[in-house]
Amino acid sequence: MNVLEKYFRGDKVVWVVVMLLSITSILTVYSSIVTLAYKHTDGNTFYYLIKHSSFLIIGLLLTYFTHNIKYTYFSKLSQLLLYLSIPLLLLTLVMGSTINDASRWLTIPILNYTFQTSDLAKFALIMYLARIISKKQDNIKDFKSAFIPIILPVLVVCGLILPANLSTAALLFITSIILMFIGRVNIKYILSLIGIGVAGLTVVILIGMAFPGTIKRVDTWVNRIEDFREGNVTENYQSEQSKIAIATGGVFGKGPGKSTQRNFLPHPYSDFIYAIVIEEYGLIGGILLLFLYLILLFRGIRISSTSDKPFGTLLVFGFSFSLVFQAMINMAVAVNLFPVTGQPLPMVSMGGTSILFTFIAMGVILSVSKQHEPQNSLADAAA
Amino acid sequence: MTEYKKDIMWRTYVVYIGICLFGGAILFQAFRVQFVEGSELKERAEKSTISVKSIEAVRGNIYSRNGSLFATSVPVYDIRMDLKTEALTDEVFSENIKALCVNLSETFQDKSWQQYKEELTKARARGERYHLIKRNISYTQLQKVKTFPIFKLGQYKGGFIYEQKNKRKQPFWPLAARTIGNYRENSSSVGLEDFYNKELQGVNGSRLMQKIAGGVWMPLSDENEQEPQSGYDVYSTIDVNIQDVAQNALYNQLKLHNADHGCVAVMEVETGKIRAISNLKKGRNDEYYESYNYVVGESTEPGSTFKLASLMVALEKGYVSLDDKINTEDGSTKFYDRTMYDSKRGGHGIITLREAFEVSSNVAISKAIVNAFKKNPTEFTDALYKMNLNEKTGVAIKGEGKPYIKNPEDNTWSGVTLPWMSIGYEIQLTPLQILTFYNAVANGGKMMKPQLAEKIMNKGKLVREVKPEILNPSIASKETIELVKECLVDVVENGTAKNLKGMNFKIAGKTGTAQIANSKYGYKYESKISYQASFVGYFPAEKPKYSCIVVINAPSNNVYYGNQVAGPIFKEVANKVFAVDLKLHDVLTTQEHQAMSTIPYSKSGNKDDLLTVFNAFKIKTDGETSSEWISTSTEEEKVKINSQSMEKNLVPNVVEMGIMDAIYLLENRGLSVKFSGKGVIKTQSLPAGEIVKKGSTIYLELSS
Repeated sequence: MNVLEKYFRGDKVVWVVVMLLSITSILTVYSSIVTLAYKHTDGNTFYYLIKHSSFLIIGLLLTYFTHNIKYTYFSKLSQLLLYLSIPLLLLTLVMGSTINDASRWLTIPILNYTFQTSDLAKFALIMYLARIISKKQDNIKDFKSAFIPIILPVLVVCGLILPANLSTAALLFITSIILMFIGRVNIKYILSLIGIGVAGLTVVILIGMAFPGTIKRVDTWVNRIEDFREGNVTENYQSEQSKIAIATGGVFGKGPGKSTQRNFLPHPYSDFIYAIVIEEYGLIGGILLLFLYLILLFRGIRISSTSDKPFGTLLVFGFSFSLVFQAMINMAVAVNLFPVTGQPLPMVSMGGTSILFTFIAMGVILSVSKQHEPQNSLADAAA
Repeated sequence: MTEYKKDIMWRTYVVYIGICLFGGAILFQAFRVQFVEGSELKERAEKSTISVKSIEAVRGNIYSRNGSLFATSVPVYDIRMDLKTEALTDEVFSENIKALCVNLSETFQDKSWQQYKEELTKARARGERYHLIKRNISYTQLQKVKTFPIFKLGQYKGGFIYEQKNKRKQPFWPLAARTIGNYRENSSSVGLEDFYNKELQGVNGSRLMQKIAGGVWMPLSDENEQEPQSGYDVYSTIDVNIQDVAQNALYNQLKLHNADHGCVAVMEVETGKIRAISNLKKGRNDEYYESYNYVVGESTEPGSTFKLASLMVALEKGYVSLDDKINTEDGSTKFYDRTMYDSKRGGHGIITLREAFEVSSNVAISKAIVNAFKKNPTEFTDALYKMNLNEKTGVAIKGEGKPYIKNPEDNTWSGVTLPWMSIGYEIQLTPLQILTFYNAVANGGKMMKPQLAEKIMNKGKLVREVKPEILNPSIASKETIELVKECLVDVVENGTAKNLKGMNFKIAGKTGTAQIANSKYGYKYESKISYQASFVGYFPAEKPKYSCIVVINAPSNNVYYGNQVAGPIFKEVANKVFAVDLKLHDVLTTQEHQAMSTIPYSKSGNKDDLLTVFNAFKIKTDGETSSEWISTSTEEEKVKINSQSMEKNLVPNVVEMGIMDAIYLLENRGLSVKFSGKGVIKTQSLPAGEIVKKGSTIYLELSS
């Protein structure tokens, strides 16, 4: 048994994918932060390289740390985190610092570090759903004893995220529904839940449109969706620039660091990073990156199938699906298949909190996967 | 457990297939963007991100023949402000706006700080992103402005924008201002700037530029560049010293006589090179300005100065001799219905033709010419044409007046034309054309084209020399020339220009006092007639070196004779030029030289300048060098010359130089210069001989 296997336990493919995504992240972020660097540090891109790299390294350390934890502990932890995240979400909504008019961020007092509370809540909710759904498996089709306890936290968390960050709330809501579907919750209830979700959203949008300015974000959503629907080129600057990036990239790309569209795309290091990937590495690069995510989800399903407990199954699937689904949404925005949502590309985009939680989630997946390796089973048995 | 699991697993595969389809849709869309919309998108991208920017070539300088800078391009800056730049917060703005405005007001002294503040505050409220603060500020002012509050934050945080332009400056303005001229695109350009524009302007470069972060344009690659080529330098024939003397003398005399306008031109006899050319016109507040090139452009009836041409034709044809006796009657004579008068009432009695020329008798000259040519006036006019008097000189300046010399075929030719023409009426010539004619006489009959440019240089290397051109190798026989030269000397010795006598060299010349119809000067002058007083001649009479013409128009103080109004200017110019021009003096003998020999101390500097001085003072120099700049060391009997390396890409040694020379040398090499103190440079921060890094700053310390 070599050293690598000794320290990096769990599914090796997942490890490789994580590493490859991290490398992609460094390459593309370093190339695309020029504008940001120009604005804030007089063109010092090195500052951002260091900052981003340290986040990735901390993330990998967190993955490593998490994957050594026995995954059954997460069941209890999920309850704690969920109860913690709900008041935090409330707090953020009331007094969060405003970036792009969206109160998504909370400043941790002493560290003076802003983090997005929805990332924590998302993480906690997926874990909690895995726990509660697996617990209720015996009478899962029941309404009162199963559906209600499952759906309540979903509605509370998504409802609290919704005003500040529609796309994250929607994404989390869809992820929850998929998780419920996987977890054998009664289809009838799921369908009616979708109905309620759509209705709730409509109400919020209507309020926003009736009283413009009361919920600033609603104005933004409405504009974005209208822009997309009308396909008006001049009004849809972001997607236009993104498409130019993809078109000029060609099959083989312009080469690392050669992007020109990074200067025109807003948030090229985050929302539109996939466009930069295609511009610099071509369609080939874009396909490979997309396949990395598909591989990740496939491995997630394989791992979940080997788990002996439904909790493990749902936990791995929940995290891998949530991550890959978000990746797909981000890519769909970049290629102009979806309206602009502001979702980062998990593990590739720059952005502190989301990176950290994503890496922890990867650690959780790896933790589940390692339970079934024979040598580890032995070690576990010994422990 | 296991049945749940089966149930769960098929559901995961369903979801997985869904995600794969989603991924497929993404890839399909990416393909579509590339292959279907691709070409149109690429085109649009290039339009908005890449463009060819032109790089302005540096316009060449115009120098005097002595190397003084007559016209040069200096960078000036427009400063603007982006009042809506994101990073300029209300806090920063309101906290610093007063300090900024006080600084601006103090620096430019044009508005109070309150005015500045109001202006900027309003512009900010309007959200102006390109608000003009001040145009055409100097480089030093710019450096200062850059340190002001808010502006020191730069363009992105402080909204400070500056743009460089090149502005033409004439350091010796108004010396020869009109002749040096100016160049404006798509507009009326004048002078040497206009004539030699092709040489001066250089070739603009171009560069493919790409838009990058923050709206900044960046060169795309080295290959796509077309370097701009700096324009050539034009060395004019104008001698800054002679020009200075001429312009000053003209100015003083115009003031004294309150004349409307006047002009002076000095020409080198042998070559036709114009050493001074000045045109002054009374403008606002009775001050005088260079506003029109009268020397070149103003055609008028020359009056008595033309008598020289008449006399020459008659002498050349052999119809008259200088000793012919002519009766001036009572100072007037009738040709048909018109009476011609002499300026001296009562006439000169019976005089010789020579005397008639001396005293400028209209009656005598016209009678002599009519007598000789009345049967065949065409012979007279043809002879004038042969002396190129009906042709433009072709001087290198736009707008030369066309000469007008009638001939009997003209509709306006009448019985009185010949006599009046003989004394300079019913014809039109510009001052320069008359000067060219007199210069030909001084030059033994060889007529030279007036020349304004000496040579064209490119970065110190000769591109082409402007060779003197001969317009007419011989306008008259040697004998005739010798005769009229005598007459011209007599004019000064015994005749109308006696007031120019009595210098230690002789002047030859002719006065002219012409009556000009006043209509062209408008209501300003009450009398119908005004006068044009002129004097044209050359000096020293025996060995002519310079010819010169002075024309004063509309002197208004009741003094209008050529000798009194124009003569003094000629005298002053001749006097100063004679004193300054060393070639006009006999060389000292060796013994005289040794008696006064002490070798002086000399600074380092430009080789040509130093050698001119050494040669002039007969100081022996030792050492040959081809470099432009030299250092010197004084020895017992000579000055030793060492070449000073002034390689284009090396930092030059500027210690012991004056600041102007140093700035010229250093900034030419792309260094920016900062200095402190006064006097001579004592230290330089970048060591001499180091390779120049363009854009770096060199600090100089001066002390006297």
